[in-house]
Amino acid sequence: MFGSNVKLDKALLAKVKRYADLAGYSSADEFITHALEKEIARLETADSDEEVKKRLKGLGYIS
Amino acid sequence: MNQRRLAVVAVWLSAVLLLATSACGRHHRALGRRVVVLGFDGLDFQLTRDLLAQGRLPNFAKLAERGGFSQLGTSIPPQSPVAWSTFITGLDPGGHGIFDFIHRDPKTMTPFLSTSRAVPPSHFVSVGKWQLPLTAGRVELLRRGHAFWERLEEHGIDTTVVRMPADFPPSGHATRELSGMGTPDLLGTYGTFSYFTSDPFANGGPVAGGTIVPVDVRDHVVRAALEGPDDPMLKEPVKVTAEFSAHIDASRTFAKIVVGGEERLLRVGEWSDWVPVRFSLAWGDLRAQCRFYLKQLSPEFALYVTPLNLDPLAPALPISAPGAYAADLARATGRFYTQGMPEDTKGLKTGVLTTAEFLAQARLAANEVERQYAWVLDGFTDGFLFYCFGNVDLVSHMMWRPMDPGHPAYDPAVDPQYRRVVENLYVEMDTVVGRTLARLGRDDLLVVMSDHGFTSWRRSFNLNTWLRENGYLTLRPGRRIAGGATFDDIDWSATRAYGLGLNGLYVNLRGRESSGIVDPADRDALVREISGKLLQTPDPRTSAPAVTRAFRREDVYRLSADQDLAPDIIVGYAKGTRASDDSALGGVSPDVLTDNRSAWTGDHCMDPEAVPGILLTSRRLQRKAASLKELAPAILAELGIEGFPSQEH
Repeated sequence: MFGSNVKLDKALLAKVKRYADLAGYSSADEFITHALEKEIARLETADSDEEVKKRLKGLGYIS
Repeated sequence: MNQRRLAVVAVWLSAVLLLATSACGRHHRALGRRVVVLGFDGLDFQLTRDLLAQGRLPNFAKLAERGGFSQLGTSIPPQSPVAWSTFITGLDPGGHGIFDFIHRDPKTMTPFLSTSRAVPPSHFVSVGKWQLPLTAGRVELLRRGHAFWERLEEHGIDTTVVRMPADFPPSGHATRELSGMGTPDLLGTYGTFSYFTSDPFANGGPVAGGTIVPVDVRDHVVRAALEGPDDPMLKEPVKVTAEFSAHIDASRTFAKIVVGGEERLLRVGEWSDWVPVRFSLAWGDLRAQCRFYLKQLSPEFALYVTPLNLDPLAPALPISAPGAYAADLARATGRFYTQGMPEDTKGLKTGVLTTAEFLAQARLAANEVERQYAWVLDGFTDGFLFYCFGNVDLVSHMMWRPMDPGHPAYDPAVDPQYRRVVENLYVEMDTVVGRTLARLGRDDLLVVMSDHGFTSWRRSFNLNTWLRENGYLTLRPGRRIAGGATFDDIDWSATRAYGLGLNGLYVNLRGRESSGIVDPADRDALVREISGKLLQTPDPRTSAPAVTRAFRREDVYRLSADQDLAPDIIVGYAKGTRASDDSALGGVSPDVLTDNRSAWTGDHCMDPEAVPGILLTSRRLQRKAASLKELAPAILAELGIEGFPSQEH
């Protein structure tokens, strides 16, 4: 369960409920939690600018 | 957790699983002949033609006589990962999804490297200071489409694909496969050297492509540590290290390097062989290897250490398929550079290595590749073999200037002695072709190809500065330049277009970019307007156009998925001009055009028509291959295989 309220528009909530059920989640809350965890993990694992620069410089093409 | 940590976690759990996916268990039929494709990265058409005319490439000449010698049109843009992906899949970038060395996520405007990524384990359990992964992570190849050797395997043909660029991790579809350009070192970079020095004037810390480490000499001994990646099992990032010592003799002529249980005695100016190194983790260890180069002992101590390469006998990342193939190669002909681009161009660019030292290091790498190729060729009796030689490309990047007295940084006192370095490598490749021809019979086929050509890089073009000067890009108030973090200080609310990567220009499109302002209905007109202006931009130094092609993506790509990653315009800089370093990372510098003063003096990321590759065949191909995209279908057609690439792409 969410620790605080999050507002979703009606159409989105209806979709969430529908796909949560289709995908076998036990509730819309579980589906939303999973989706948010996945997105946060994606953002957290993105290379930082400095990391990308370092790796690009490793290619040699950029000083 | 950053990509480097993820890479190691991924490694830790899943390398072996990934490697099990090769085609080695598939049933093969005897083809009754051999097809060999030699990939020479960066072999230039014009230089090859000149050397042929001078009679310096006799084996190339034999091929030219038998099957023909022609230009091979490169990819748009002519960058190696794009070009090789085009050859591998028979698709343009719209199909295989590799548009540049560097892509960006338009939703976050975060840049990322285009060819592979590490995917972390999805679940961890925390125990004290440790994190225990419950599921396997993996390293993922981002190229889409099917590799041509998949089709060969489907027809029961045994395939060996060695050092294929832009194929890391290996696809797993060949009978045996070793990844080439794009394969990282243990740190997850394309090569990070270490340089240990007691020079009091040396600034310690990271430099482009390496790390300078200040050390003290005490009682003729230097004690230091090689730095590995973060320990993936610890929640807080802690680097793993392997201590070593250098014991200097009284005459300051020799030093004994001791690391773990390994010892090497080196003279000043001598390179070690590969030294295995173990990094202890919270549980288990990571294996790597490096070479030491004792640069000097007097007046100061200076020791260069190669990037920490994955140990081919126990690679911590999937570099071959089956997994044991890398070890088979190492046992047969010795340990070898597993990083995809072994020639240490960064060592030379940063001044850590002199030109002579760089060439000696490149020679070590080239010898390994040639020795390994001889062994692979010896064992090749039937089917298909691809083998790539990458050293011409990397040496050409650093040694083109000596061939170009018109280069702004040409040094008449130094450069003439290196005038023939690149040419001599072409002659060396001719010898490789000669050895191959001697092995092949009448029914066999030899194809010699390159992914792009080469030319001098004299002038640097900052696309973002040009966009600012022409009113398409706006900086935040008070800023004239930007280049700290990528896209730092750009006012997105007043920016209609931006540059990123070596040839990419993007519209700041509403609905695609996170702060997009250009209405999709206006995109095409804007693209045409910018293209037209770019083509009319002269280089004030020469009065000639600085840009000779501006490709609309719709005109040159058959776009499938991931359209959002494709640049809206692919900029074809005039021969001799390339995107500046700042421009490639989204920066804005004071001037649009500047002289290239870098040691990196040869390049190819320009107008594709200025840098075609080469094609030589031992007999005339039934189907014409005028470009990289057409080459794999033409080779497959020689074996009676049609329909590649399939229509689904």
